Amino acid sequence: MVQAELSIPYVDFLKDRYPDILRAAGEHLAISGISVAIGCLVAIPTGIFLARRRIPWLQSVIFAIANIFQTIPSLALLALLIPLFGIGTKPAVFALFLYSLLPILRNTYAGFQSVDPSVLESARGMGYSAAQRLLQIQLPLAFPYMMSGIRVTTVYVISWATLATLIGGGGLGDLIFSGLGVNKKELIFTGAASAIILALLADLLLGRIERRVTRRAGSNQEPSFTS
Amino acid sequence: MKKNAWYAVLGLVIALPLVLSGCGNSGNKIVIGAQTYTEPKILAEMYKALIEDRTQVKVDIKPDLASSPVVIDAMKNNDVQMATLYTGEVFNNHFEVKPTKDRQEVLKEAQEGFDKHFGFKWFDPLGFENTYAFTVRKEVADQNHLKNISDVKDLAKTMKLGVDTTWLERENDGYPAFQKAYGIQFGQTFPMEIGLVYEAVANKKVDIVLAYSTDPRLKQYNLQTLKDDKQFFPPYDASPVIRKDVLEKHPEVGEAIGQLVGKIDAQTMTDLNYQVDVEKKSEKEVARGFLKKIGLLE
Repeated sequence: MVQAELSIPYVDFLKDRYPDILRAAGEHLAISGISVAIGCLVAIPTGIFLARRRIPWLQSVIFAIANIFQTIPSLALLALLIPLFGIGTKPAVFALFLYSLLPILRNTYAGFQSVDPSVLESARGMGYSAAQRLLQIQLPLAFPYMMSGIRVTTVYVISWATLATLIGGGGLGDLIFSGLGVNKKELIFTGAASAIILALLADLLLGRIERRVTRRAGSNQEPSFTS
Repeated sequence: MKKNAWYAVLGLVIALPLVLSGCGNSGNKIVIGAQTYTEPKILAEMYKALIEDRTQVKVDIKPDLASSPVVIDAMKNNDVQMATLYTGEVFNNHFEVKPTKDRQEVLKEAQEGFDKHFGFKWFDPLGFENTYAFTVRKEVADQNHLKNISDVKDLAKTMKLGVDTTWLERENDGYPAFQKAYGIQFGQTFPMEIGLVYEAVANKKVDIVLAYSTDPRLKQYNLQTLKDDKQFFPPYDASPVIRKDVLEKHPEVGEAIGQLVGKIDAQTMTDLNYQVDVEKKSEKEVARGFLKKIGLLE
């Protein structure tokens, strides 16, 4: 009975506020998506480079830097970026980009490491160029690892993007924090639930993409795992 | 090996109740909650100094609670027993209230409402109000002859507004009601942690902000506040608020806190905030310094 009492006003609330909720969700998706995309653009080539060149000191330095970014508390990082980027979406996207680096980097590196060197040797023996080895052997074999890293990162970033509101960056955090401030629990709940739904949908979508790509590659990949 | 395991369990069994009894409100300790900005933190240190100086009660402070409703929830749950609240808070969805802007009426609503519904004693005001103030850079005010909020009407569509995280949602004195009262709509709105709005407007990241009136950074960044010519915002007089059950147990706490009623005006509070926010002194140092100055502390 309590459930019925609660759900009807909540449905009214949703009907009333769905433009705001959708706007916030859209901003949230945009901030998260852009951060992860830029993260991939930087972390994947870096991971490939490190896996192929094997320069130990460089590896340690780069991993250490990515690690440090990851461990800085999100709010502190946002605050530290304000003198550089001002307030709004720019510092939020940059902070989330820094967070996205380590999982993608680490998984790309691990993926490329996992390729059996003897496979590469035989390929070289058969006359495959470096580019062909990269595109036709290493990338397909490393792909499940990389996708796993991207999926994990995406879920993290969508969750952390809720803090963007504190520096004027918008997103679903707007709902959560304003709900906190005016004592409207339905706002808090909706903001949090929407972020969860976004994260699940993103993970689902990336999973589909992963399966589609591996099927097209024609290889009998093992089902991917999430770290 | 087995013996060590036994000792470990024994140690835990003894230690755990001691640890747990430290939590919650046991015996002679009270916890004061404070919001995220400097002002209630200074006031919490004042309450603490007075209580510990004049009574046997010990005080802990829990700062950085996200907003006044969070503070009130914490008091309802007895996680904190005392806080500083502002009379305009009555309009924030806690209980049915009479819509009025009269200062005395609003105080009455606060004192009666919070007593009746939650069992809190809302003391008489400390002597100052910390209300919302629309604020622009001084050059912008001079250039466009901005004195009152109404003066912004034509410019507003081109302006970026920075506000705290709650103002866009507040019912009684938030953005929707503001738009109705003044007929003003801003081009873009940016909610953010309140501490950031001062720099944001000073550094031209936004054009106009809704600041808190006793914040010293208004002066520090040479900002200009606009007069609320339509009297839209309700009063926001500050008072200590405490759970009545704590007062019943320790009436001497009530007497200690009562010493502060009417002793702090807006200029004084702004100066105290200035010492912390700009001169970077600690809240404790500033609070105790003030109490000594007015003779409430040795």
